[in-house]
Amino acid sequence: MPDLRTAFCGIELDVPLVNGSGTLDALVSGTLGLGAFVTKTVTLHPREGNPPQRIAETPAGMVNSIGLANPGLDRFCDAHLPRLTELGVPLVVSVGGWSREEYAVAVARVGAHPGVAAIELNVSCPNVDTGCISIGTDGAETRALLERCGRETDLPLLAKLSPSVADVSAIALAAAEGGAAGLVLVNTVRGMAIDRTTLRPLLGGGGGGLSGPAIKPVALHAVYHASRATGLPVIGMGGVASGQDCLEFLAAGASVVGLGTALFRDPSLPARAAAELDSLLADRGLSAAGDCVGLAHQPLSKPSPQLEGMER
Amino acid sequence: MASRWRGRVRPAEPAEGHRQLAVARNEAVGAYTLLVLRNDGGPVGSPGQFFMLRAVPEPAAAYLPRALSAAWADEREIAFLLDVRGPGTGSLATAGEVELLGPLGTGFDLRPGASLLVGGGIGAAILPWLVRMLDPAPRVVLGFRSEQHAVCAALVDPEATVVLDPVVVTEPLARLMPFAGTVYACGPDPMLHAVAALCAEHEVPCQLAMEAAMACGFGACYGCAVRIDGEWKRLCVEGPVLAAERVMAGA
Repeated sequence: MPDLRTAFCGIELDVPLVNGSGTLDALVSGTLGLGAFVTKTVTLHPREGNPPQRIAETPAGMVNSIGLANPGLDRFCDAHLPRLTELGVPLVVSVGGWSREEYAVAVARVGAHPGVAAIELNVSCPNVDTGCISIGTDGAETRALLERCGRETDLPLLAKLSPSVADVSAIALAAAEGGAAGLVLVNTVRGMAIDRTTLRPLLGGGGGGLSGPAIKPVALHAVYHASRATGLPVIGMGGVASGQDCLEFLAAGASVVGLGTALFRDPSLPARAAAELDSLLADRGLSAAGDCVGLAHQPLSKPSPQLEGMER
Repeated sequence: MASRWRGRVRPAEPAEGHRQLAVARNEAVGAYTLLVLRNDGGPVGSPGQFFMLRAVPEPAAAYLPRALSAAWADEREIAFLLDVRGPGTGSLATAGEVELLGPLGTGFDLRPGASLLVGGGIGAAILPWLVRMLDPAPRVVLGFRSEQHAVCAALVDPEATVVLDPVVVTEPLARLMPFAGTVYACGPDPMLHAVAALCAEHEVPCQLAMEAAMACGFGACYGCAVRIDGEWKRLCVEGPVLAAERVMAGA
């Protein structure tokens, strides 16, 4: 039995699987067997989110325009956080904002709450016009944000990055220079759906974020290059729907794999993906999930013991 | 948590995952399609709750499951009336097996006393089960856009009052006001708002089964936002059946 336990930025996970921010409400449906829970992004002020329609099915995925709907920092910390820290798995709180100071206020407040394992800085939401992704598409802004927030907490800060940038490695490197302990990528890819009848944008927010198997190659590319550029531990996600997908993200350089849109279709996926990953690692003679991390970066120069008995 | 469901059937736990059920039969009912699944004895919930359905094998052109409330359900069968619109509903209409998650959400709160059911279009799909559950037998008013669409009225109640476009259901409904009992309605949003307004005017308690595009059905995706209590809230968590006042608040 391979060992699926994983240490990520000093956090102990029973399985190297988490949810992507905003793809699970653990207070409604539990943590589904994930190794840690990542909250929906919280902002300083409450946000209702974008008007409907908020989701559109697309080939091998969906486009969403939720718009960072959340109760705001006060209500989140008072009403939600105490219950979230009782879930029984490590808790990562995702925060977003429209300025460095907004992020800093949220990081200080969340970081002071016992039971929070790490803080994700969402600098990649495609569904707001300003802030957030306008920081995460600019290396200097990203570095400055990490530096500013690092002054507010001793908890590991994770930068959640967008694939909708010219060079994700450059942004990842900027986050690393600013003091990020780890990276989370990718957020959704900027996308749009057109109503087939009206020929106008289908989603209430106009554009949106594409997710699902359609973006897996984009995500693998981003994880591979961001991990190579920075050497930071990575939570890799984008279109993951099976244990094989998890294995590929580990090989690309992720230490932990995120499940998102696939959870909408199948909330029993975490248990199934963990079992499949376990069996796939065993097939390769790997004794731990960690042994697979970054394999894609190593040349396959000589017959590998990991491929013994595998079909070529 | 228990108090939140106020004696109603609590939704299934999503982590338990899907059940795969065989299709017992599918048949045209006028413009709609009746899909009957052979139940494995699993939970069916109560009228107005819903299930997430996906055809097996998975259709290439439909990534997400479809959220549907049952036309009727018991331990032997679960029936759905489909309005086939695209690849998702199309694949369900011809499936041999269906993956099903649920029951999910909060259904109708069945009140003692007289009841009046109002259905518009495919909203009539969820009323047959409600008719069976209500005692005394309810009055039923249904509206459809064509005679072909109205064929399904017989599944709900052969005695139903049926109106066709351009007549709207609020016309016969208005003549029954003030109704001394509870009104239960399902249909397109403009119809539901009109029914709710009429009931509010006559101080008649009213429950609305609403509809929204859903990716997950259990509160994860935040896609099914509906104006509830004057805010955008998740229909799958708050509903899909809501007291009319909650929908009218700030509408």
